[in-house]
Amino acid sequence: MAKFEAGMESMVDTYMFETSSLLEQLDQILMKTENENSFGSEEINEIFRIMHTIKGSSAMMGLNNMSHLAHAVEDMFYIIREDNPTINSKNVLFDLVFSASDLLKAEIELLQNDEYAPSDFSEVMDKIEKYAASLKSGGGAAEEAPAPAAAESAPAVSAQDMIKVSSISGDNLTTVKVTFEEGCMMENLRALLVITNIKENCAALEFEPADIETNADSSKIIAENGFIVHFRPNSDISSEYITDIIGKTANVSTCEILGEGGEIVKEVPAYTLTRIKVIFDDECKMENLRALLVVNNIREECEELGFIPDDIENNPDSADMIVKNGFIIYCKSAFDEALIDMIRSTPNVKDAVIEYKGSDTPPEETAPQSALAEKPAEAAPAPKAPEAKPAPAAEKPAAKPAEESKPAAKQGGGVKQSLISVNLNKLDQLLDMVGEIVITEAMVTSNPDLKGLRLDNFQKAARQLRKLNSELQDIVMSIRMVPLSGAFNKMTRIVRDMKVKLGKDVDLVFEGEETEVDKSIIDNLNDPLMHMVRNSMDHGIEDTQEERIAKGKPGKGTITLSAYNSSGEVIIVVADDGAGINPEKVLNKAEKNGMLTRPRSEYSDKEIFNMIMLPGFSTNETVTEYSGRGVGMDVVKKNIEKVGGSVSVDSKWGEGTQFIIKIPLSLSIVDGMEVSVGSSIFTIPINSIKESFKAKPSQLLRDTDGREMIMIRGECYPLIRLYELYDLEPSTTNIYDGIIILVSADNKSACLLADELIGEQQVVVKPWPPMLNNFDVKQNGMAGCSILGDGSITIILDIGNIISDF
Amino acid sequence: MNEETSAEMLSEGGNVLLFKIDDTIYGIEIKYINEIISIEQITIVPKVPDYIKGIINLRGKVVPIISVRRRFGKEEIPYDERTCIIVLEFEGNNHVGIIVDRVCEVTNVNSKDICNTPDFKNVNSNRYIKNIIESGGEIKQLLNCEKLISDL
Repeated sequence: MAKFEAGMESMVDTYMFETSSLLEQLDQILMKTENENSFGSEEINEIFRIMHTIKGSSAMMGLNNMSHLAHAVEDMFYIIREDNPTINSKNVLFDLVFSASDLLKAEIELLQNDEYAPSDFSEVMDKIEKYAASLKSGGGAAEEAPAPAAAESAPAVSAQDMIKVSSISGDNLTTVKVTFEEGCMMENLRALLVITNIKENCAALEFEPADIETNADSSKIIAENGFIVHFRPNSDISSEYITDIIGKTANVSTCEILGEGGEIVKEVPAYTLTRIKVIFDDECKMENLRALLVVNNIREECEELGFIPDDIENNPDSADMIVKNGFIIYCKSAFDEALIDMIRSTPNVKDAVIEYKGSDTPPEETAPQSALAEKPAEAAPAPKAPEAKPAPAAEKPAAKPAEESKPAAKQGGGVKQSLISVNLNKLDQLLDMVGEIVITEAMVTSNPDLKGLRLDNFQKAARQLRKLNSELQDIVMSIRMVPLSGAFNKMTRIVRDMKVKLGKDVDLVFEGEETEVDKSIIDNLNDPLMHMVRNSMDHGIEDTQEERIAKGKPGKGTITLSAYNSSGEVIIVVADDGAGINPEKVLNKAEKNGMLTRPRSEYSDKEIFNMIMLPGFSTNETVTEYSGRGVGMDVVKKNIEKVGGSVSVDSKWGEGTQFIIKIPLSLSIVDGMEVSVGSSIFTIPINSIKESFKAKPSQLLRDTDGREMIMIRGECYPLIRLYELYDLEPSTTNIYDGIIILVSADNKSACLLADELIGEQQVVVKPWPPMLNNFDVKQNGMAGCSILGDGSITIILDIGNIISDF
Repeated sequence: MNEETSAEMLSEGGNVLLFKIDDTIYGIEIKYINEIISIEQITIVPKVPDYIKGIINLRGKVVPIISVRRRFGKEEIPYDERTCIIVLEFEGNNHVGIIVDRVCEVTNVNSKDICNTPDFKNVNSNRYIKNIIESGGEIKQLLNCEKLISDL
């Protein structure tokens, strides 16, 4: 099912991204204002602006339901802004806006599904409209409030006359007329698509109508007159190539070349241009040709250039007019004084004077600002300012950016930005590519062909390569890092909602929210965090303030979200100062569910607490809307393990509970120790290895069940024979021939028996092929696989998983 | 999706890659075939069903390998120079290799040569066979590739 018309898909991503970030912004404003319990005019304007943008972009995408909902909210805020009514029931207002924001968010989620059907928002819209009406009647005055689409104010009135100029200091422009398929609708957006497609390949680009992005009416103009594009391709590209791209764009029916080597002629308000009057020598004859010479001389230096009379090239009579009135040049350039000099140096020019100095005031704001614009011109009349001349080069870079950001921005670019948004897929590809480079580096530097050779210079170069590669890796990783604050901020909303529903008073405190983790981890972190915060709100914090005060705690509960870095891991702690977990209760419940495998007394507190993350466990007797369905904590555990992390619970009865999440900084490259077991090669992450050694007979012992153990410095560890664990054919079953590796994870340690240590290597974690995920390979202690330098495959072990079973 | 493709096959025929296990000829629609490679070093993956022989490195991609013999409950035979891995490609850039005794040819199948498999009472029968093809005096069984890799 096609959600969007053809040609729109490319914009869907951008639309969803923008709208969701706007909605997030909205939520934050709402949270803030709700806390302060008052709307400042700034906030109202901001909400109004957000809703206006969503309305517009949704309408553009053809999502009318969203557009209408946003419109309703916008209207409501229009009334609030204009009439400034006394708002009696702020709660209702907040709830309305929150629910609207939720609906819009949910709709965006829905959009990502293949089968999308627009939801019906009429219920909420009715409520909003009713509320708006009540506001209005309460506010009394200003019935006329027509709720116009506000931002479109700014009347484009130009008191001054318009001058035709050729622009972008340039010629060699190809002009094409693009027409779209009849009845394809939204021609302006399709035109925008055309522009986006060719933008990269064009050194200069102009189009008419120019306001396709902002003015929906431009689609009519395009439908009637076609869409005119002037462009100059990059030097290495032919204009045919560009027209070809245009022709291939969706819905384009024809692309007709109107002219090549032409100039862009457009009308610009005269006040933006500097007016120069040129007077030629008396009796020099053929003034029109001399004028042409002047124009050609300065053309390169001007961004925009026009002149009167404008027919000097083909009308000999214009010579008379020049004699009579002088030759007037309208131009825009970075340094007018230099221009004057150039004009003066042209043969037969008697003099050139700046009659009026142009200002950069943007055309839209003509009326209020043209008066202002006169001022700088007066303050610096300087028809001949010789001191400005010696340093035109220094002036140029300084003047350019300032100018470009204004009217020149119309020419489609040049504005410098230090932030860009990039499609995550591209970053993933980049990361993959870096991974491949790491593998290839290993392939080259440990190539079997090099064995036994003495290659000092090669080794030196290889070390350098390795260093650069690891820097590259770091940079790519840092690109993908995003602060946790985004994920944390989402929790404020959840806490807010639950506060209302559960009637508990709770503060949410952030610590270290600037800590960064990989983007792909963040995406998998939202759900677990939400579950944990809900859990803390619901089960953690005591039901009543009295209960808390009786325990000597402040009446208001606190949930703390904190994050910090620790040795290659990020640790996130969700802590509450609530009732804590009662170990007895957990044990009772576990016993009831038949989850205990040992006598009760043998369980440590830690083990007991972690039981709440087993599937099908919920101690809360009553199931609430938010938690206590017995799903949740085990899902949290699964989700976090999916990104290679781990969760543990700590609690003090009566004092509070902590959920501790440990996640790796990055997912994809690990330092590993390779070990062989028979013909298989396994990689053990270095950070879980404590030591490796050969076993001595004095260290070995067996318990009564026949389980093997190894004593190391007075500590006893279980022995896991990898070949037994994974049913492999080892090269030796003799424990004294193999190698023992002491590993630890999650405060547990064990010894692994492998045949041989092969060596240390950085490996790139490749996910399991989807088919193998059906067989729980991850639950069997295999985190992923990786390709080694020689092309063979190694399996990366998940030590935590392996030893948790022993 | 499955029904759609089989319906398409029924009416239109198409190219089919034929391969042999013992003396039985099986076919796979050409759209699934990514490439055919000779048998190479397979890395064992522990704790998976025995018909999954392991994984191979196909130019940087990790591809799981299924033994069709084991999948159909037959005994393994030693690999020889005719043993091949047919790499199949599924939606979402998902690759799976299958080990077959020998690859025969690619043939065009007419729609009239295709017939359905009989419905046995036992739901598990014929689960990997999509259609039966009879042409050139030989009977070939067209495999249902999706089932081959997804049925646990």
